[in-house]
This record gives sequence, structure tokens and C-alpha cells, in this order.
Amino acid sequence: MVLAAAALAAFGVSLVNFADGGGVDAQSALTFLVFSLAFGALLAGMRAWAPSAVPFLIPLAATISAVGFVTVYRLDRELADLQRWWLLLGSGLAVLALYMMRSNGLDPLRRYRYLFLAAAVALLLLPLLPVSGPLPLHGLEVNGSRLWVRFDVGVRIQFQPGEVAKLLLVVFLASFLAERQTALTVSNRHLGPIRLPEPRQLSPVVVAWAASFAVLIYQRDLGASMLLFGVFIVMLYMATNRFTYLTTGLLVFTGGVVLAYTRFAHVQRRVTAWLDPWSDYDDAGYQIAQGMFAMGSGSLSGSGLGLGRPDLIPAAATDFVFAAVAEEMGLAGSIVVIAAYALLVATGFGIALRSRDLFRKLLAAGLTFVLGLQTILILAGVVRIMPVTGITLPFMSYGGSSLLANFLLIALLARVSHEERT
Amino acid sequence: MNGPLRRVAVALFVVFMILVLNVTYWQVIAADRLRDDPRNSRVLLTRTGRERGLIISADGEILARSIGDPIDSQRYLRQYPYEGLYAHTVGFSSLLFGGTGIERAFAEELTSGRDLTVAGVINALLGGDVRAQSVQLTLNHQLQTIASEALAGQTGAVVAINPATGEILAMVSTPDFDPNRLIGSGAPQAWSDLQEDPTRPLLSRATGQSYPPGSTFKSIVATAALETGEAGPDTLFPNTRSIDLPNSTATIENFNASLCGAGDQVTLEESFLRSCNTTFALLGMDLGAEAVVDAAQSFGFNRPVPLEIPLLTSAIPPADTFANSLAALAQTSLGERDVQATAFQMALVASAIANDGLLMEPHLLARIFDADSTLESEVEPSVYAQPLGAGTAVVLQQMMERVVTQGTGTRAQIPGVRVAGKTGTSESATGPPHAWFIGFAPVERPMMAIAVVVASGGDIGESATGGSVAAPIARTVIEAWLNIALDPAP
Repeated sequence: MVLAAAALAAFGVSLVNFADGGGVDAQSALTFLVFSLAFGALLAGMRAWAPSAVPFLIPLAATISAVGFVTVYRLDRELADLQRWWLLLGSGLAVLALYMMRSNGLDPLRRYRYLFLAAAVALLLLPLLPVSGPLPLHGLEVNGSRLWVRFDVGVRIQFQPGEVAKLLLVVFLASFLAERQTALTVSNRHLGPIRLPEPRQLSPVVVAWAASFAVLIYQRDLGASMLLFGVFIVMLYMATNRFTYLTTGLLVFTGGVVLAYTRFAHVQRRVTAWLDPWSDYDDAGYQIAQGMFAMGSGSLSGSGLGLGRPDLIPAAATDFVFAAVAEEMGLAGSIVVIAAYALLVATGFGIALRSRDLFRKLLAAGLTFVLGLQTILILAGVVRIMPVTGITLPFMSYGGSSLLANFLLIALLARVSHEERT
Repeated sequence: MNGPLRRVAVALFVVFMILVLNVTYWQVIAADRLRDDPRNSRVLLTRTGRERGLIISADGEILARSIGDPIDSQRYLRQYPYEGLYAHTVGFSSLLFGGTGIERAFAEELTSGRDLTVAGVINALLGGDVRAQSVQLTLNHQLQTIASEALAGQTGAVVAINPATGEILAMVSTPDFDPNRLIGSGAPQAWSDLQEDPTRPLLSRATGQSYPPGSTFKSIVATAALETGEAGPDTLFPNTRSIDLPNSTATIENFNASLCGAGDQVTLEESFLRSCNTTFALLGMDLGAEAVVDAAQSFGFNRPVPLEIPLLTSAIPPADTFANSLAALAQTSLGERDVQATAFQMALVASAIANDGLLMEPHLLARIFDADSTLESEVEPSVYAQPLGAGTAVVLQQMMERVVTQGTGTRAQIPGVRVAGKTGTSESATGPPHAWFIGFAPVERPMMAIAVVVASGGDIGESATGGSVAAPIARTVIEAWLNIALDPAP
């Protein structure tokens, strides 16, 4: 399966070359090698340290990565060169994570949860560091959002700490909620037939709302803020089975949205561009319009790899990578991609459902949900179900931080799966 | 414990389904609309990079071809060997500025379907021919060249039609531009230069610009008179230098305020060959607005005449606008005031008269060939309209022949050939008059109907008339065509 994905990536690269007048060349071979190496190593790591894990995770991730890589290669050869390194590094990190969990398993994650919380908060705050200063670490503003950190140690390394922070938060929440489940569930207050939650029980919702709103305000990032909030609320719900958390969550979310819309120009711009991209075609609506043109031009069978013009879409290799796939591989490609994500999410929830203790259940479900929600948020933006949020599509978009985080996510899921079967 | 997890999972799958439905909507239901949106440059970008078929003239000259891009072997560049000669007919296909003319009208046929789409591959596997087709036009290259040289630097147009078939034999507009400048580097600069050029070379004076047709319009008024029976060639009109218009201070006078021949009265035929304004002003008022406007519309005024490339509709105000103004009707009957015609429209007038009243549907496309040069389809002549009866047409043919033998159009004479025509000199709001000539030859079996317009006096300026400026151009083109048609081998 993994070899098939590697072959798929190499074949895609060759097709792109072919459309350009070339064919199977060193790039195809290199891609095959990198994919075989990255996912082969991951597979070997899983065989060695999580042998009982379900076997679908890695092939699915490899397939999605292959489609994504071919698209990135097609759009920008230099980014593809980097992406290959990120693939190797990400899988290396995942193998390392599996190795470190080989004897104690997930227990340390549970035990040091406040360490993870602190790390997550610190990571989320990192981009707010001054843009210039004596420290080797700088905040960085990209496209109006403060999501990036630049690390100046001889070489300049840039990364998006939010991608890793979201994993740490899931780990913390799973551990925290597994322990506090009862305290958060029991309530003696009633209003007619409706059980009211204790005010103390609502505090996590408020904390979640405040944290994600803070991200929105200070980092100007709609996607990350919605992702964080969604994960908080849904994990609360999954831990307690209390519908109130969803409804109150939805209420404060709506309030937040209204507030954000009325107070922030950049949110307003995105909403306007979503509702009517043609009204501001040359500016805010341009990306959405180009995404729609790409999807429409792709039609059923697509233009063929290397033969469309996804390069016309702004941020085609990152946020709008799905539109690029839709253009060149057509509806067939789009549905395969969505189906692959659905399968990955199904596999993740399968692991969670089979898990025996609450912490692992919540961990697997939370990790899967974060992957699923992130996929949905950006895809929904591209197909105009909601405003564009500007987050990466897991495994497909170009981006080191995103790839590393998602490889780690797969390693954690694999470990949960393994532990529940032994 | 698993209940909420299941519900969350189901909720996610529902959203995934909605995503699938949504993307299906964009890629299937809304796909055509999005693909053809003018702001979507994809179709154009991929097409212009691909190989396009040949565009060839009726006599087999290549007017447009695709050559390999010297920089990028997978791309093709469009080349127009005759530069500006076909700028307003063949047009151009440009990466940046879209397509015009035949290049645009037959983009589907001219584009190669060879690509790596599933549809393309399946089509190719099933033996379908995905190669670009070639388009052959009715334009004759020799004639086109001669017509362009005949205009010789003046602003104007020549439109020549085979009246029996509707084939457009030559269509030239000057000044023109070299479409090759719009391909490759330097194109954006060339494009803005062309758009800002005060001589407006991008504008087709044949199909995209209308002028008052002046006295050539008298052939339409004469048609109305003959068709309604209001007057015949021998009907007498008072011979005056000028007439006063009713309910108006305006007067209408003849060219140079001269009399219309000898005697107190003058026939319609005599008035036609001398192009007397007084007679036609009176005749127009006698006929009434309805008859004049109907006659013009039957020739194609106010109607979208079918043509492969964009054609400006020639216009005459509706009859009821003349209800209270006989003066306006009198001036309109002379082809002035509010009546506006393209050279193309006036060529149709000549064509219908030449073809005994039948107006054939005009067309530029002759044949489409597939990549193996086998005939794919051919355009058959068809009748578009019948603006006048055959009897009326024969009378008008004789009247127009006398214009050339004895009247204002003597400079269109060709020894040994019976040429018919009508001159026109129409007022220009901004400068010297526009010189017109419409005609056809040979009278006994017309092989060409022609309209020539030279804007703003051409080289002569204020003293220009249709007879002095436009008629000699028509003569050159007609003579050339008779030579080509009778001796096809170059």
C-alpha cells in the first residue's frame, strides 16, 4: 500500500513532467525514493513499537500526501523540493515519537498534562514576540496574520507553532477531561425539564471562548481560532455527553462571530468576499473567484495534470490546494480526496470507539476530530460553505509545521490503537 | 460512553457529504458557467498555448498558422503571415487580450482537443480525431491584397461579395494593424499603443463603424418607389436648383446648387444618374416614412444580419419618428441626418439588387477541413431575404448601369464590362465628406457586388466625392476580380 502511494506520487510527478515535455526522470525517481523512505520508515516504526495498531492509518496518510505532493510539485518545483524534506523530517519525528512511547506508552502524556498545557499556551503566544529584538526568536506577520515564528540560529527557520499547539491541547484536554468527567457532568439545578449546568462547569467553555477569541484578536487568525474553539467544545461534549456544552458553545460562538464581524475589518472582508466574491473581484473576492473558476474548469475529469492553470489561484499550494486538485484531477479527484479524509476520520473514530479507557478514547477522538475539523474548515471555505479561514489542508498543503504536526498526530493515533489491542 | 463519539463522527460524515455535494455543484452544475466566465482566463490561456488549426484563404494562402514556440517546445505561437491585411477579418488569438474575428468565431474548431483529460484520452483511444481542424475562408488573397492597395493609406473600407452565393470575396479596413505584435513579448505595450492610436486601427471600418450612406441610399429610396409603384424610371419631377422644405427653414439643394439637366422637368432615372437631391427629397416625402424605412429594413437596416464576426447593425429611425417632420424624412431620403450604414450593409444592398432581388446570406466561412485535409463541412449558399422583386431589381440594375455610363460614376467604367453603381458623398460632422460607391458587375451576370467607403475625403479632402474617390477603387477591385475569376491560375 505504501509502495503504491509512493508509485502514485512518482507517476504524478512524471505526468506533470510529461505535460511539460519531459517524462519519467530523476524527479520521479527521487519522489518515489522519498515516499518509500518516509512512509516505509513510519511503517517499520509502527511494526516495531506499535505492532497491533490498525493498518489503515499510514497508507491513507501516504495516499493523501502523494496527491498533495504532486499538486505542490506541479505548482512550484522549489516548494516541492522542500516538501520532500518535510516529509522525511515529519516521518522521522513520528518514528521518534513511536520509539519514545515504546515502553511507557501514552501514560507520560497523561501525567504531564499541565506541562503540555503550558507548552501549548507558550507556543500559541510565540508569534506575538516582537518582530525584531535581541532574542533569536521573532514573531512574523504573514498575510496580515501573526501565526509565524522565525528562529534565527545561523540559519533562519520559520514555523507555525499553532499547528503543534493544537496537538498538545488535545492531549491536555483528553487527560484533564478524563479525570474531571464526573465533576463536569453532575448538576442539581433545573429550569423546568432542562437541567442547568453548574456555573463552575461552564467555566471551561468560557475559557475556551476567551482563548480562541484571544487568538482571533491578537493573531488575526479566523481558522485557528475556530479550530481551537471547536476542539474545546466537542471534546467537552464527548467527555460528558452533556448537550448543554454544545448549545452554550454554539451560543457563545455565535456571539463571538457577531462581535468579530462588527468589530474587525478583516473578518468583515472575508465574510463579504464569501457572500459575494464578484463584488470585490479584484481584491478580497479574487482568491475565492479563482478557486471557483478552477473547480468549474476542472469539471468532471479535470484538465489533466500539468495542463490546467491552478497557478492562477492565490495560495494554491497551501490554503487552496484543494481547488488546484479539483482543477487538474476534476470531480473524480476532489471526491477521492474528500473520501480519503473521511476514511482517515473513520479509522480514527474506530480507534476511539474501541478504546477501553476514557483518556485514550478522548485522545483518539480529539486527535481525529482536530484533523477532521481542520479539513472541513478549509474545504468548506474553498467550496463556499463558509468564509475562507486560511488554514492548511492536512497532509496536502505545502508547509513544514503542518506536515510535522500531522505526522505526530498519526503516530499518536497509532499508539492509542496499539495499546487498546494488547 | 461511545454515544457522543458516534454522534460527533456522524456529524463529521454529514459535513463531508455536504462538501461532496457542494464540490459536485461547482464542478458539474455550475461548471460551464464558471468555465465560460469572461474573467476566467483559463480557456484562453490553455488554448493559445496549444496548436491551432490553419486559417486559409479561398485561393489557398495561409492566413494564420501555429508554429512551435522557440522558447517552450510544448507551446505554440500564432503567426499571421500577411500582418495587417486580415486584421479585421481573421482577427487574432492572443494570450492576454482574448480573440477576435474568425479566430474567435471558430475557436472550437481551430483548437486541438489533444490533451490529457480523461475525456480527451478516451476520445483518442476510441479513434476520435482530436487534432485541430483548419478553416478555409471565402476571402480571396489576391483580391484582398489589391483592395487593400487600392485604399492606399486612406481611412475606409472595401467589402466585396459574390451576389449569387453570399461569399465575401474581400473585406478590407484601413488603417489596419499587425496582429503579430499582440503575440509574444512586447504585446502589452503594442496593445496599449493600438488602443490609444488616434487613427483607431483596431476598429473595422467595414463592419464596426457606420457612416451616413449619402446618395448611395437613393438606391433604397428608388427601390421603395418602384416596389410601391409611387414612381417609375420615367416619372417626371420638377427640375429645380433647390427646394424649400415644409414647416422648416431648411432647404435642400443639388450638388453645387446646379440644375438637374435640361428642361423644366426631369425623370427619376435622369435624377438617379445625376444624383439630384431635389428629386429624391420630393420622392421621399411622397413615399412617406413607412415605405422608406421598410425598404431600408428589408435590406438589413435595424436587423441583426448574420455574420461569423461581429457586425454593427445599420440604423434608420423608426417610421413614426418622422410623423411630424417631413423635413427630416427628406434629409433621410438623401442618406443624411439620422441614417447610418456600415460599408458591409451597403454591399448587401448592391448584392441584393445585383442578384435580381434575392439577398444571399453573407458568410466568410467556406469549408472546414480536418487535420488530414479531408473535407469536414462546407457552407451552402442560402437566401437571407428578398428586399425587392426581380422586376424592380432589373429596372434598378439598368438605372445603376447608367450611373456608370453617363452619370456620377463614370470613373468606375471598365472597358468591355458592363458596370453598375451608385455614388454617394455624405456629410461628416467633423471634417471633409465621406466618399461612397456601391455597385456590381458584370450587369448581365454579376460576379461581384461591392461597397467602398473612404472616410473624411480620403487623400482629396473637402473636394472629395464618391465619384472621384470611391468609384476608382471599386473599379480596380472589380476589374481585378474579373481577371482572377476568368483566369484562376495566378
